[in-house]
This record gives sequence, C-alpha cells and structure tokens, in this order.
Amino acid sequence: MKNIHICGFSIVHVILFGLLLLGLTSCEDPIDINLKTGPVQLAVDGWLTDQPGPQTIRLMRTAGYFDAAQPPAALGATVIVADEDSVIHEFIDLKGNGTYVWTPKNGETFGKIGKKYLLGIRYEGQEYYAISQMQPVPTVDSLVFREEKLNPVSSETGFLSEFYATDLPGQADYYWIRTYHNGKRLDGTNNIVVSYNGSFNGSADTDGLLFIQPIRWSINPEDLYQMNDSVRVEVLSITPDAFYFFQQLSTQINNGGLFASPPANVPTNIVNRNASGPKAVGFFGVSALSSRTARVEPGTIRPSDD
Amino acid sequence: MKQLLQACFLLLLISTTLRAQETPAPTARRVNEQATVSGYIKDAANGEGLIGVSVFVKETGAGITTNSYGFYSLTLPAGTYNLVYTYVGFARQTRTVDLTGENVRLNIELQEEGRELQEVTVSTRREDDNVKSMAMSVNTVEMKTIQKMPALLGEVDVVRSIQLLPGVSTVGEGATGFNVRGGNVDQNLVLLDEAPVYNSSHLFGFFSVFNPDAVKDVKLVKGGIPALYGGRISSILDVRMKEGNSKRTTVSGGIGLIFSRLTIEQPLFKDKDGQARGSFIIAGRRSYADVLAKPFLTGDLKGSRFFFYDLTAKANYRINDKNTIYASGYLGRDVFGADFGFNWGNATTSLRWNHVFSDKLFLNTTAFYSNYDYLLDSDLKRENQKDFFNWKSSIINYSVKPDFTLFLKNNTLTFGGQAIIYDFRPGEANAASGGEVRSFGLESKYALESALYIGNEQQLSRRVQLQYGLRYSLYNYLGPGESYEFQTDVPAGKRRFPVSTTTYDRNEVIQTYGNWEPRFSAKYELNEVSSLKVSYNRLAQYLHLVSNTTASTPLDVWTPSTNNIKPQLADQIAGGYFRNFGKTGTEFEASVELYYKWLQNQVDYIDGAELLLNKYLEGDLLNGKGRAYGAEFYLKKNRGDLTGWISYTLAKTERFVDGINNNRWFPTRFDKRHTLNAVALYDLNKRWSFSASFAFATGTPGTFPTNGYLFQGYLIPHNAESSRNNYRIPPYHRIDLSATLQNRKKRPDQKWESNWVFSVYNAYGRKNPFSVFFRQAEEKRTVMLNGEQVQIPVAEAVRYSVFATLIPSATYNFKF
Repeated sequence: MKNIHICGFSIVHVILFGLLLLGLTSCEDPIDINLKTGPVQLAVDGWLTDQPGPQTIRLMRTAGYFDAAQPPAALGATVIVADEDSVIHEFIDLKGNGTYVWTPKNGETFGKIGKKYLLGIRYEGQEYYAISQMQPVPTVDSLVFREEKLNPVSSETGFLSEFYATDLPGQADYYWIRTYHNGKRLDGTNNIVVSYNGSFNGSADTDGLLFIQPIRWSINPEDLYQMNDSVRVEVLSITPDAFYFFQQLSTQINNGGLFASPPANVPTNIVNRNASGPKAVGFFGVSALSSRTARVEPGTIRPSDD
Repeated sequence: MKQLLQACFLLLLISTTLRAQETPAPTARRVNEQATVSGYIKDAANGEGLIGVSVFVKETGAGITTNSYGFYSLTLPAGTYNLVYTYVGFARQTRTVDLTGENVRLNIELQEEGRELQEVTVSTRREDDNVKSMAMSVNTVEMKTIQKMPALLGEVDVVRSIQLLPGVSTVGEGATGFNVRGGNVDQNLVLLDEAPVYNSSHLFGFFSVFNPDAVKDVKLVKGGIPALYGGRISSILDVRMKEGNSKRTTVSGGIGLIFSRLTIEQPLFKDKDGQARGSFIIAGRRSYADVLAKPFLTGDLKGSRFFFYDLTAKANYRINDKNTIYASGYLGRDVFGADFGFNWGNATTSLRWNHVFSDKLFLNTTAFYSNYDYLLDSDLKRENQKDFFNWKSSIINYSVKPDFTLFLKNNTLTFGGQAIIYDFRPGEANAASGGEVRSFGLESKYALESALYIGNEQQLSRRVQLQYGLRYSLYNYLGPGESYEFQTDVPAGKRRFPVSTTTYDRNEVIQTYGNWEPRFSAKYELNEVSSLKVSYNRLAQYLHLVSNTTASTPLDVWTPSTNNIKPQLADQIAGGYFRNFGKTGTEFEASVELYYKWLQNQVDYIDGAELLLNKYLEGDLLNGKGRAYGAEFYLKKNRGDLTGWISYTLAKTERFVDGINNNRWFPTRFDKRHTLNAVALYDLNKRWSFSASFAFATGTPGTFPTNGYLFQGYLIPHNAESSRNNYRIPPYHRIDLSATLQNRKKRPDQKWESNWVFSVYNAYGRKNPFSVFFRQAEEKRTVMLNGEQVQIPVAEAVRYSVFATLIPSATYNFKF
C-alpha cells in the first residue's frame, strides 16, 4: 500500500484500521514472473556531504530486475566533481569495483554551503553530467526517548525516539532524514524520510516551524528502541529536485495494494551531453549534514504523555 | 450566455413548430376528432408507481410505456379501444375505454401474479422490451433479481450486481465505482432519485451506498443516452427509491454479517375510504462490527470507532389528481478512528413535484441538494494541543431541473432544462507544530452548469421509430477566485509552474464552455421478434475526479473545469441486433451490440503529481484522449424455474497522453479484452431457491519493470522503454453461490414472512490478482562481495489479492 502522507498524516494507518474488518481476506504472495530485460544503462549512486572522511560515488550498470541487487560495476570511468570556482575533486576507483572515492587531505572536508557542484563522468565514450547545490541545514537540537507500547494492542513497550529541529525561516528548505540504530542505518523501504520546511509536502505552510510531530517521530524502527541502544539522526539539506526524486523513489518502492500509483520511472538528474546517446539513471546530490547521537538511558528519557 | 439564449430560442421554435403540426387550423378541426387516455399505474399491493409498464392498444397496435413516475398518456382517434396493460411479474389487465367523447383519466392498479405463477424476472419490464423498446444499450435489473443473486458477505448490492452486465467492468474487486464501455469511474452519473451521488461506496468500495430495501428500480444507460440526461460522459445509473407502501404499514429488515437493516413503510393521510393520499418509507442500515468488538477494545483502542451507516427516507403526497409531491433524502457516512479520525459520506435531498397540466402534458420539477465531504483529524480528542493536523474537503451542489413530457399522437416530446450551482471546497486544513498553528488549504471554487434540452420519440411507421434530441450545456467557472496561467515551454509529461495569476470577484466569469450535445437513436423492427437499433450521442462533462491511484479513494477530490482543465467530451456510436424467442415469444431474449467511443480531454497526471491540497494542481495534470470499442453479446432467459443471463464482452480501451508511454496509445488500467459473466437463478420449490454467478475477465494491464538498479541500498525498478501498462496480470475468475430458504408460514394469512439467505463468495477460493507489483523483500540477503559480507535486497514480484479465500455468509430477512 502506498504510504500517502498528507501533511504529516499517514493515511495508511487509518486505511489499514478500516480494512481490519476485511483484512483477513486479502493477501500478498510472491509469484514467478518472466520479465523481458531492456537495454543496459549506467546507474549513478552519488551522495556527497560536508562531513569529514572520504566521499564516494558508485557507478553500476542496470541489470534485469531480478538480478539488479547485484549489479555489474561500471569500470574504467573517469569521475570528477567540480565546484563553481573550478576546484576539481577527482574520484578514483581504488578497488576496481565501481566505487569511485575522493580522499580529502588532512582537515579538509567537501563542499561549502551555497555553492553549486558539477559531477562529470566519462564512461564508454559518453559524457554524463549532473548538477547539485549545497543548501544550509538547521541543527538538531535534541534527541529524546519516551517509553511507549509497541502498538496499541501490545503489552510490550519500547522507547519512542523524537528529535527536535526547527526549519530555517524565510525560504523553501528540503531535507533528507537518515537514522542509524546501533551504527546500522535504518534502510527499510519505509525509512525514506524527506521533508519540506519540516513538514511532508509542499502544501503546508510550515516555514520556520518546529519540524512537525510525524517527522520528529519518523526516526523509529517498527519495534522502537531498547534501553542502551544508540541512535543517531542525520538531517541533510537537499535540493528541490532531490526532494522530488526521493518522494518518487519512496512511492515506487512501496507501491502495492488497492491504492497504488501508476508505476513510473524514478527521475534522474544525470544527463548525457549527447542528447541522442544512451541515458543514465540514478542521482547525484550534495548535502550539508547536521546530526545528533544519543543513547537510550535515564538522562535522555522523558516522561511519556499518558 | 448568448449561446444559452440561442438554445432557448431554438427550443421554443421546435416546440411551437411541433405543436403547430399537431394542431391543425381550427376550421379544419372537427370536435373530438381524437381523445386522450392518461393516468398513473400502480402496484396494487403497495401503491408504488410502476415504471415502464406497457400500455398497448389492441385495435391499432399503438403503445406506450409509463414514465419514471408511473404516468402514461395515449392520444388516439375517436373510438372505443381495448387497452392492455402488461408488466412482467404482474397479471395482465385489459380495459375498454370509450374515447368518443371527453378525454379519459384511467388510473390502474396491477396485481402481482400469484406466488405459483410468479416468475423471477430478469431485467426487462415490458415482456418484449428487448425488441420493441426504443432504448438500446440499456440494462435494467429488477431489485427482486438483485436480491436473489449471490452477494459478497450476503449484502445485496446494486453496484456489484450491475458489474455482471455486459460492458461494465472495474479495475478490480473492492474498487470503488465501475467502468462503463471504457469510461472512467467519474464518468458515470449516479443518480438517487435524480440527485447525484459523488461516492457510491462504503468501506472504500466493498459495498455500495444504496440500501437494497429502499430501492425500487435500477437502470443503467450505456449508450443512446436521451437528451434528458447530461453532465457525465459514459453512463447513467438511475436509481429510483421506493415510494413507501400506501396500502398498509410494513416493516422489513434483516441481519447480515456486515449490516443490520430496518425499513418502515407507511401510508399517510388516509381518507374515509381507506385510500391514502401519500406514504413514506424510511430505511436504515448500520454496520455493527464495532458494537460486537467494543468489549475487546481497551487501553488506547478504547473509544475506537469504525462503522458505516446510511439512512434513506422518502415521502410522497398526492395533493390532487394533478399534483403529487415527493421528498427524498439520503445520508450515509463511514467513520473510522480512535485518536485519529477519518470519516466521509454523502448527503442528498431531492424535492419533486409532478404536475399534470393536461392529459398530454406532464411536468416533473426536481430541486436537489447533494453534498460529499470528508474529514481527517490526527487527534480527535485534542489531547496534544501543540501538534495536530486536520483537514476537510467537500463538494456541494444545488440544482433545479424541470422536465416536461408532451404526449402527442405519434410523438412523445420531452424538453426542459437544468441549472446546477457547484461549490467545491478542495481542502481546508490546519496544522500545528510545537504549539504554533497554521491554517492553510485551498480557496473554494464555484461553477454554474446549465442546460436546455429537447428530445422527441417518434413513431414513423409501424416498423420505424426514432428518438432524437439536442442538449445545449453551458458552463461558467465563476469567481471569487484566482486563475493561473502555466508555463507552455515544458516538455510533455513534466510539471508546469504558474507564470501568472489573475484574481476574480464574486460571480465574475473566469471561463465559459458551451457544448451542443446531439442525441439520436433509431429502431427498425425486422418482424415481431427482432429489431435493429442504432444510436449516436455526444456528451459533455464539466467535473473531474482527480484520482491517480488504481482504485479511487475517499480522499479524491472533484475539481471543476477551469481555464486550464477542459470539459471532457465523448462521442459514441452503437448498433445492435435484438431478438426474442422461445415459449410465448419472450422466453429468451438476445442481443448483440457494437460500440465505438471517442473521448476527449481526459485528465491524466504527471509522474509524482501532487493531487491533494495543491494550489497549482492544474500544472500537474495532463490532457489526453481515449478510444474504446467492443462487442457485447447478451442472452437472457426470462421465464421458467430457471432464469438468468450470460453476457460476453469483447472490448478494448485505450488512452493517448502526450508525455506518457512515449506518446503511443496504451491500454487503460481497466482494459479487459474478454469478459464473461453468467447468472443463474433457480426456484426449486416454494421454499428453496438457488442462484449462482460466474465471472471471468482477462487480467488487467500493469506496468512491469524491465530492469533495476541500486541507489543507497534500495532496489529501484526501472522500465528502460518508459512504457505504461506493458504486461497483463493473470485472468480473473470466480463463482459465487447462494441459497434462499423461505420460512414456512404458520397460517396462510400470516403477515410475518422471513427467509434465510446463505451464500458463498469466491466459491473455489481463487486468489484472484488485483494487481502484481514489484518490491524488495523485507528481509535482505547476505552475500560475499570482494571478500566483504554485504547485505543486498531481494527482488520479488508480488500478487495482491483482495479476497484471497472463499467467503461464506448467512443473512436473515423478515417482513411484516
């Protein structure tokens, strides 16, 4: 079922609740299907941040859908990222596995807020490029926990995490929120969280407000956190087209049930200089990142609402 | 406005010309050269007006059928005639009428045939309607039949039943609404006593909003749509409510798995002879799963609400022989929620006045109000004052609609008009975060849709009958409000951003559209038992349901035509061969119909369109065209212990939208090449009757990926050809069974009647796919890659079935 969020309100829960009556009758089961494989394209997975350490861009080739989890690497490419002042960062495939890395000098970090960045790739005789911009990001002010039931009918409890951040006033801001549970990123299909001005989409006027509650709560795994777990939340500034990209990505990989959207290709910002040449897929983005890490322990636990 | 005036003028011209033809110069006219017999025809058991009763003149072969209010009028040369009144399931009556003097008023009450003789009637009213009636592409289903057909969870359902008729399909079971001859769900004008119903479903689409106990007649018009109707381009579903028993008080009801039902009917204003001048009916249904569940809901779930109900009421009062008034209303709601709340529903009210000006001129004036609204609230109890969200949306309309019928010698002239005021409130929303409340949402939009029409049904010769008409519809998109101009240099299929805004004052016209809508049908009777019919119609539609999900949701918003959204237009041609055969000539009826339909200005969506609470929604909409064609085969058995029908539809429905599917035609989501439906009803004896239905349909199209790639660990499906609906999901088939047990009466004159209905839906428990979609499985797989352990997603194709098992049910019904 598509996760339709309307200004912070997940209809899925409501609908699921409504379907309890008939929920017992519906079912989802995996089936075998033969799919025709289309022409192979270059797939770019490049997300750079202003954090210390090496930055990587992964280049792959698309594969048949059922083989795509282990895609062949795109080897032998030339990869650079240049900023608007023509400072060039070279990305090298150190291990020969399609992971192109830029290693900063001591104390150096990638990117400056407000600057535009151009990705250039030369691969199999084609030249591809993509442009992104590093936007400002608010700080994460706090990260706290409350003891809650896992779900309304459960007797078990866990710790619901909530982070506080306030949208930057005066402009349209887009964010990508990532969460790490004991060092491992929450990477389920429903863990893709993007936000516009601290709310879900462009219709709500929430400029300059505290991130709305469903966003503040969006960093929890299904069975919440346990005592002594470590939780890290990252807020990344993104561009409007990246926001749209992530929305589409989320829609397309969570797209079953009665109220599915028409399947469509997730957009890309990778462009082939030769308009009639092969197209690429994937996305290139740069982000400023702010984060906060906290442990579930008495000092971070707040009394629960009830 | 000018065009509307022109249309007015044209209408006047036509009506005066016709009247001039009918009324020769006074000098040439002899007194009582001809006379008229007219009246109402009712059911003797309960006083309900009977729709579509055949009145046949034995001597001349002329005939007519009663209108929606049971009224008829026949003008004949002076003489004495035998009139035969026939209606399926009712005893035939013959009356001798003397038309040498004055006009005659003849009200008739028809007696239902005795139980032994009673036949289960399937869809026609007039026995030879199939061949003799002017109408084509029309299916009527008797409530009696609908009530005997197997039903999902035992809940008799009007909309589900019509899905077994030729030319009707859906995107899948459980989806709201229905698709007629390649039309979208928003292209059906669903009328409940002439008031439109905007969402015909309870619980997202599992049950329709019509309480079967209150419904008298259901008619689906798929083509050859008369000029009387307009506003939607694919079909008219005309649902008429019962008037209420005017002979005695009756109470009926039932208990099923989902609903409990109760209906009361009562005569009103009885005079000394015991004749009632009016009657009313009030019928209610409510789901009661929440009542049963209540003791089990504790803690956070306490106070959970999940139920749906509807209340239908109607009253009529016969002021005198010439005037009758009707008032009807419907109120239905679905309510879900605990802390959060979500509810939606329709409300309609219609007032009607039937006036008989003379024996030849009949007027029905309807005024209606219709409202559909929904409300979402993140925190109904407002426990948290700092963080909440709520949102409501509605569409409201008011309308007046006078419809005249003029009964002339070989012509039945209908003319009239309609004005509808629309008030769209796409969304009023409030959000609070950290104690700061922001109100936002969209301004209301207003529109006025008006129409004038004239139509005529003309008997050219004994064999040839024509029906033709013209409707002019005029639409004004009105202020107060803003209109937007959008970018024009954006590649097809991409979001267009606004470039300018214009503000309009109250009642200022933002945009006007006018459409001439010609209608034509012809019937040629080859002989007594077979006929050929052809029809053409053009229809215009000024409202659009903005919905981009497989099944439409209760949250979908209706939007008016604007300067950017053009009205939808449809042209349809249809032709058919109709034949009756078997015992008494009408035991079986058969038809073959072919149709072709062109659709213009179909609303489609860019990828990732933002449809809700989006001020610049129009920038996310695309304009497409459609075409649908097919053949419908229909064979029905009307008489005997075994009745029923088989229908087969061969069809194709396609759409073309710039920017979708590489600018090539693609099949719509509800395109099904083959659809086969069969319904059988069998009366074993006085106590037991059985029914079965079978449905088969080609799998609907789906968009499947050709490739995939990884991004940040997510497996993304990709269609390298950017095609739409490039595969088909497996076919759909299902059998439903039902048995009805009539409980024995203790005494023959006992008023209490009751029965049990047992049914099984999806009898062989097939997991019929609603859709097939692609996703990464929840669990990941660990593999060794370059000497490192990595977790990778697993790709899977998933079949989603709405009813993946057989569903048994039992229902108890009573009446006294």
